[in-house]
Amino acid sequence: MSARLKTVLAGALLMALPLGASADLDLGKLFSTIKQAFTPATQEQEIAIGRDAAATLLGASRPIDDPAVQNYLNKVGLWIALQSDRPDLPWHFAVVDSDDIDAFAAPGGYVFITRGLLLHMHNEAELAGVLGHEISHVVLKHHLNALQKSARMDLAGQAAQAGMEAKGYNSDLDQQLMDKVSSATRTLYSKGLDKDDEFDADRMGVVLAARAGYDPYGLLAVLQTLEAVDPKSSSMQLLMATHPTPKDRIATLSQAMALGNFDRFGGQAEAQDRFEGVVKGLIEAANKKKEAPAPVTKK
Amino acid sequence: MTRWLGLTALLLALGAVHAASSSTAQTVVAGNLVSGPHSDASVVTAVPNGAPVTVIERQGGWYHVRTEAGQDGWLPMTSIRYSATSSGAAAPGTDWASLFNSGRSGSGGGTASTGVRGLNTGDIANAKPDPAAVAQLENWAAKPPEAKDFAADVPLKASPKIGYLAKVKP
Repeated sequence: MSARLKTVLAGALLMALPLGASADLDLGKLFSTIKQAFTPATQEQEIAIGRDAAATLLGASRPIDDPAVQNYLNKVGLWIALQSDRPDLPWHFAVVDSDDIDAFAAPGGYVFITRGLLLHMHNEAELAGVLGHEISHVVLKHHLNALQKSARMDLAGQAAQAGMEAKGYNSDLDQQLMDKVSSATRTLYSKGLDKDDEFDADRMGVVLAARAGYDPYGLLAVLQTLEAVDPKSSSMQLLMATHPTPKDRIATLSQAMALGNFDRFGGQAEAQDRFEGVVKGLIEAANKKKEAPAPVTKK
Repeated sequence: MTRWLGLTALLLALGAVHAASSSTAQTVVAGNLVSGPHSDASVVTAVPNGAPVTVIERQGGWYHVRTEAGQDGWLPMTSIRYSATSSGAAAPGTDWASLFNSGRSGSGGGTASTGVRGLNTGDIANAKPDPAAVAQLENWAAKPPEAKDFAADVPLKASPKIGYLAKVKP
């Protein structure tokens, strides 16, 4: 950093600080803070940030209580993630308890899909396309970068400190990190990423699905299904508020796939039977639960 | 007993709905209906923009469709758009979401919206962290050898050399 730039930055910071704070201002400390704010998170720090973001998202919608479906999702998801540039992250996948249509990724390898979106799919290749999209957000660190930026602070440094000094989950530093990540998560995930991040995740997602042996047109098929859902319906509210329209995504993605000659992978697997078996199981399990609620004392 | 009747009805419904799997759409561009799911297939007929078609199945980037005149052939998938629905049951295949909701509304049916769980921007903006739910995810996590066996069951064959796609200007 040039001396001139340092002066300009110091001036800007001084103006931003309350008057009382300028008296015992430690310039050296300030510069190290500026530097840290732009330091990329290590993988360990990213996972710590992601865990707190995931906790916040699951606070809005809990994982469904269906181990067969969750195990299935984790196997499909990990198989696709293994085809990415970050196969060694601790990948976790879950179907969450909402009938609305959406899917999320959080830093460090967390991927969530609503039951509503799952039930709008028709085979495993479609699921692979959606999971490929979410995995790509993680691989490209879209949410990590956006969270750091929106929090306007050094989440990575704080995660490092929390990791080194914390003895238990409820230590002060862990709590501070949770508060900051959670606040940034609520803002980011209700507004969405930049549109370009979504288009980039679409393009990488279909490549991961193709590498995993799936028909890569599954993602386009899901987007066409969503294109036919009334965009004003409540089931689409969150997706429409946070993503480009299905129509724009279809146009952009199909063009990229055509230029990449993806027609040659069109005959790859759809794995429809396996997908249908799992979804039928989900519906039957939910139905049994509904028909047979908690035991009552009187018959 | 009611429970088993309900379950039987659901299983029957699953079978019935699964059979009825075609769906209606219309073309969004004029083009050729061709005889197979590939660009060098012979032309069956020209199809104008806005033509209603019945979609029978998808294969890769192609839909197998039937025109109103009863002609059978294939169109590139992005040359059609499904007819709008409120539920999104437009694409060919089973409408799982409706089955789930009708199953959940009990044997009487009718009130499909009973107990529907929403997730909107407000729910996200007011979310309270649930660390226990994150811890629960460990119960379901897969290990690479399991994922590989699972892929081999289909079988899914990995092609790690497929390159990333170049960005296209919208």
